[in-house]
Amino acid sequence: MTTSSAQDRAELLHKLGLDTQNKGPIGRVITTGNIEQAKEHEDGTMHVRLRINPDEIAWDPAVIVMPHGGDLEIEIFNDDLNTHCALFPSNGDRKFIWLVNHSRGRAKLNLDGPGYYWFSSPTGNDEGRGLTGAIVVLGDVPPEARLDRPEQPRP
Amino acid sequence: MTVEYVDAGEAIDQGDLSGKHGTAPPVVENVTYERILDARSEPQNWLTYYGAYNGQRFSPLDQINTENVKGIGPAWIFQSGTSGMIAGASTYAFEASPLVVDGIMYVSGWDGWVWALDAKTGTEIWRYKHATPFDISLCCGNVNRGVAVAKGKVFSVTPNAHVIALDAATGKKIWDKTYGDVRAGESATVAPLVVKNMVVVGSSGGEFGVRGHLDAFDLDSGEHVWRCYMVPKPGEPGSETWPSDGQAWARGGANCWLTGTFDPETNLLYIGTGNPAPDFDGEVREGDNLFTDSIVAVDADSGQIRWHYQCTPHDVWDYDSISECILFESEGRKLLGHFDKNGYFFVVDRTNGELVQITPFVDRIDWGNITRDGKVTPARYPDKEGDPVHFYPGPAGAKEWTHAAYSPETELFYVPIQDVGATATRRRREFKESIPYWGAGVQVDIEDMTGYVSAFDANGEEKWRWRNNLPMCASVLATAGNLVFAGTPSGEFNALDARTGELLWQFQCGSGHHSSPTTYSVDGRQFVVVPVGWGGWAEGFLPGMLGAGHGSALIAFALPEGTPSR
Repeated sequence: MTTSSAQDRAELLHKLGLDTQNKGPIGRVITTGNIEQAKEHEDGTMHVRLRINPDEIAWDPAVIVMPHGGDLEIEIFNDDLNTHCALFPSNGDRKFIWLVNHSRGRAKLNLDGPGYYWFSSPTGNDEGRGLTGAIVVLGDVPPEARLDRPEQPRP
Repeated sequence: MTVEYVDAGEAIDQGDLSGKHGTAPPVVENVTYERILDARSEPQNWLTYYGAYNGQRFSPLDQINTENVKGIGPAWIFQSGTSGMIAGASTYAFEASPLVVDGIMYVSGWDGWVWALDAKTGTEIWRYKHATPFDISLCCGNVNRGVAVAKGKVFSVTPNAHVIALDAATGKKIWDKTYGDVRAGESATVAPLVVKNMVVVGSSGGEFGVRGHLDAFDLDSGEHVWRCYMVPKPGEPGSETWPSDGQAWARGGANCWLTGTFDPETNLLYIGTGNPAPDFDGEVREGDNLFTDSIVAVDADSGQIRWHYQCTPHDVWDYDSISECILFESEGRKLLGHFDKNGYFFVVDRTNGELVQITPFVDRIDWGNITRDGKVTPARYPDKEGDPVHFYPGPAGAKEWTHAAYSPETELFYVPIQDVGATATRRRREFKESIPYWGAGVQVDIEDMTGYVSAFDANGEEKWRWRNNLPMCASVLATAGNLVFAGTPSGEFNALDARTGELLWQFQCGSGHHSSPTTYSVDGRQFVVVPVGWGGWAEGFLPGMLGAGHGSALIAFALPEGTPSR
């Protein structure tokens, strides 16, 4: 069976059990969950809420999208009945937080440019079971960092 | 009933959980341009990438010497390891050249890591981690070749083409400038060079059809001082070597992805430039393609090109000329020695770029030949679509980026050599930003290869050769103890007699070498330190070792404490 469209893909993920625990594979295939765009405050900082729902062993959202590089504040909720943690990318050092059952915390990150970065719960094999997510930074590098040449084709 | 959440607080720096963090003494505060100019008068330190501006990778230290080197062993090992999903997870490598200032070591790793260590014990003092996008374009692995230090700061580039200044005492960022476009396929791996009040860096991305450049930034403020493009725009000097129509120049390559050398008397930076793009399809870029594959002399103040010498005009073999330009004097002349990927050793007058001599330094060269007076005649190259062509040396070159050394005491150059070929089959493709732009399918030989460290005099005469069954893919280090240190892809770290090439000592480090060892002393004890961690572009320079294990160890060797000096 193959898939050819986004709608088909979501249905197929569910039908094959790739988007839940212990149905298709043992865990959940990473980043098969929700996607959410971070909200931007007037001062340019961005904000998003991140949850671990009961028995999903996955991030919700699994993909966080920042409209541009800068500072991101994350509110984290562990609604699961097990203990997890979070390790986020950030300039200076990676940010770590321990998340016991039914806890909430926060993280302040700085990500400076376009591309995507992984975050995870680095305990046991949370990462392989599904607690690996992505932070996508949109936008371009500053104008002064771009090559002096005519616009070039992209894929 | 609603149950209140447990307050988990705010996420903290992961390094706070390492048990090893602190503040370094202010040893870098007084590292000035003047001190770096005279770096070899401080043999206890390794203040700049090559040990000195001349690129010789020579240390006056002689406590460890031919008589006692068999007694050295590991004094300490620093290991970072890798965790989580990182860019180039299968290609990261430990390629740096550690710097040492008055007992403190500054070294960079892959994926945006910079560490300060106690050079006597290997204990971590602080760490900096730049967040690296997982999806950046990396032709040749997630690697970084080292840092620079001056005026209380540590300078490094990041895989996503930033240059950053860190507080040398704390590792906290002071300034951060973006100098490359990751959406265009640019990245950065070079060790910065401090010159006067500037930090000079180059860009990577020649396999993605970018336009290579060299940039200078103010040490204090991070303000951009100048940019020197290595492919001219239409109408600029050198543009006549590119097709007059179309945009081949705009995608022409010539990246400065390795650290240059500097002569304060000529006020010139000597920079080697990378391959033209597309690497193997020359038909879309007729002409010599200046200033690709060239030794380029750049005025340090203005960033203007003063002269150039092109080692491989119209390259279709991926023969970057990025290798170091070693500055030396002979018979009263100010010269420059350069071992090129194309298999030839060039000696040039560094005041004007005039050719002095050319000699082949590897046994097998059949891509073409270069006469003593510099005439280049190509022989084997991928010029027909779909037609495989085998040639020597392969695209990693007879010497890759890893550095030669020069001893002013023996007046010999010591060169790590890769004797391996490859087959390229031209496959034309359209250019699209951030997509690899090679113009060929390439397969490097996994059989019939060899390597050696050779000693050459300035006339190109080979004085001795130490043979290895695998190509030699790591920088060598020469010392006044008449030693040459050279690591192998299979993990051995060797000490050779600089006068004869005799193997005097060997230690198996557990992973292949693809880095630049340095030497220093603390409290009168000499150390030789080598980053060990196989990886990088192994499919390009030694695919026969693609299955070898990665590593991430920094190993410092010394004589046992209390050993009397000679």
